[in-house]
Amino acid sequence: MKKKTKLNFFACAMSIALGCISISTTAYASDGTSYVYDGYIYDADRNVVDSPAAFSLERVIDTDNSGGIAIQGIDDVCTSSDGRIFLSDKKSGRINVYDSEGSFLQSIKAIWTKEGTIQLDDDGNQVTLKSPEGCYVHEKTNELYIADSEAGCVVVLNLDDYTFLRKITKPSNMTGSTDFKPSKVAVDEADRIFVVVQSSYEGIIELASDGSFIGYYGVNVPKVNLIDYFWKSLATDEQKAQMSKTLAPAFNNVAIDGEGFVMAVTYDSAATDMVFRLNSKGENVIREEGNTYIKGDIKTEDSSQFVDIAVTDYGVYAVLDQRRGRVFIYDFDGEQLIAFGSLGNLKGEFKTPTGISWLGQKLVITDSTLGCAYILAPTAFGKAMLSGSEEYYNGRWDEALVYFEEAVKYNSNYEVGYTGIGKNYLMKDEYEKAMYYFNLGGSRKYYSKAFYGYRGLWLKAHFKIIAVIFVILVGLLIWSEIKYNRAGKAKA
Amino acid sequence: MKEKLHYMFFSMTHPFDGFYEIRFRDKGSVLLASIVLAIYGIMKCARAQYTGFILNLNDMSELNSISIFMSSVVLVILFCISNWSVTTLFGGKGNMQGIYTIMCYCLIPLIVSDLLVTVLSNFIILDEAMLLYMLEGIGIVWFVFLVVSGLCVAHEYGLFQNLASIFVTFIAAVLIVFLVVLFLTLEEKMFSFATDIVREIIRTR
Repeated sequence: MKKKTKLNFFACAMSIALGCISISTTAYASDGTSYVYDGYIYDADRNVVDSPAAFSLERVIDTDNSGGIAIQGIDDVCTSSDGRIFLSDKKSGRINVYDSEGSFLQSIKAIWTKEGTIQLDDDGNQVTLKSPEGCYVHEKTNELYIADSEAGCVVVLNLDDYTFLRKITKPSNMTGSTDFKPSKVAVDEADRIFVVVQSSYEGIIELASDGSFIGYYGVNVPKVNLIDYFWKSLATDEQKAQMSKTLAPAFNNVAIDGEGFVMAVTYDSAATDMVFRLNSKGENVIREEGNTYIKGDIKTEDSSQFVDIAVTDYGVYAVLDQRRGRVFIYDFDGEQLIAFGSLGNLKGEFKTPTGISWLGQKLVITDSTLGCAYILAPTAFGKAMLSGSEEYYNGRWDEALVYFEEAVKYNSNYEVGYTGIGKNYLMKDEYEKAMYYFNLGGSRKYYSKAFYGYRGLWLKAHFKIIAVIFVILVGLLIWSEIKYNRAGKAKA
Repeated sequence: MKEKLHYMFFSMTHPFDGFYEIRFRDKGSVLLASIVLAIYGIMKCARAQYTGFILNLNDMSELNSISIFMSSVVLVILFCISNWSVTTLFGGKGNMQGIYTIMCYCLIPLIVSDLLVTVLSNFIILDEAMLLYMLEGIGIVWFVFLVVSGLCVAHEYGLFQNLASIFVTFIAAVLIVFLVVLFLTLEEKMFSFATDIVREIIRTR
């Protein structure tokens, strides 16, 4: 009897698994039953609190709707402000271009010149993409940067017609032991080029706009293990040479935020920081003022492993955790807005998520194993969440208040919303209301500020009574002293 | 009783005199000491719950008064037991009753500082938190001074002998905890062994 149920169960599980696989391979376009990414946040007590979905699956881009070009594995995604999506397929050596609806536009493999011929390199060979791992749209100069790791170069194309502009190879003045195998690339407002080489412990390679080497950029501190430290302090030089070196964790991806700071993530769980906002000295100046740490999942042994980061103009950034297939969204203060996504076989779930990018308020997330890209559209809550953060960042308090109140209606656990409402009341000197909302939002810092105002008003309002009580107390004290002294004298 | 109550507060400001009276002239009361200990446990719970929002980092949904009460009270009792066992070996003159009474009386400054911190924390902002921590520090220093002087009197020890005995007391306390955990684990295993046997016996096909 028992055996039979077991078999039954096995068959059932198999059929479910098969069903899932068949769904995932034929997944395309939203059909009304799109995957909903229910999420969670870490609240002020660092507990996991459920959150309604901020995004739902809108469309899947895969081989079926790529104009007959087989997608083998997508490693990175970037978007232009006019809504084009660039997916870099490392295995087939292509950059595929889609419009904002996810319809196929073009595939870039061979590089063309302005004149309509194929670009030749110095040896007379045709320039083609070998293994484009990363791409970056630089709107300021209207350029598309493609990091080709196998060819060891960064190819720069015109953003409009994808014709060849220049090729950045290993700078002659480059120092250090890092191979020039560009994996990810980003360009800031001063046209400096930041090139990430996977597993390079020296940092991000910083190049001038003409392709000359400026230096390694970014400070990434490894966690020091106390036990290792103890043994190393005992070891002789020979023993030390045999021990594995503690190297600075490598950066895995870069992005440029709205204020021109370089943002980076690291995959290495041995790093002390996971997400970086680097100032000009290369120090991490990310704001961690929220109720949680910017480490993805906390309270867990196997920490999140971030592979990509996408930043909006208003400081909200999304980081992609490859270990659990999760997206974490934080605002510029480091407050967690939401976390969602999971690994699995259902349509909308991930296998090996690799890249993430904002497309307005939508998100584009790529998966290299599934060979597809998901376009996620914000739900009503997601829209309120993002718009609220945007208006708040731009200092439009009243508009922000409307969105925060809406977001809180959808998600009564949304602490960022409560804190946002509270900040609005604090600006208007409505301390009592502000305190109420800061309490809900778990924001002790701002509660303290509101309470300071509240206490000041209270003291002002009740000054007479307080003064009278104070005078009476002092009078009593003096009187008892006098009485005590008289009694003492009388005794003497 | 009134006299004993008087000596309880008298020892706070005059520890050597007060504890001498308690130790040698029977001015201490186990009942009073137990009441103080209970108030101390309750105060710890109150502190965890009623500290103002700004300074209260406890997770209110996880707050367990019973466990807070037990852990604070058990710590004091554990210290008494291990101190008694250590000093018995090292020629201390104190008996269990004396040690317990004096230890519990010593908690009064802690109770007072906890009370003040809890009440005041509802009226301060984050920048003024330093003052409260200072207040708490005063309470702790006072408490430590009382414990040291009280145990000196109770065991008729010199200062350094006393400090050494307190140090050993901590080690002994760790040992006691270890033994208790060991005992509980073994007992649990015994119990599960017994239940397993019973289950095997009464098992039917």
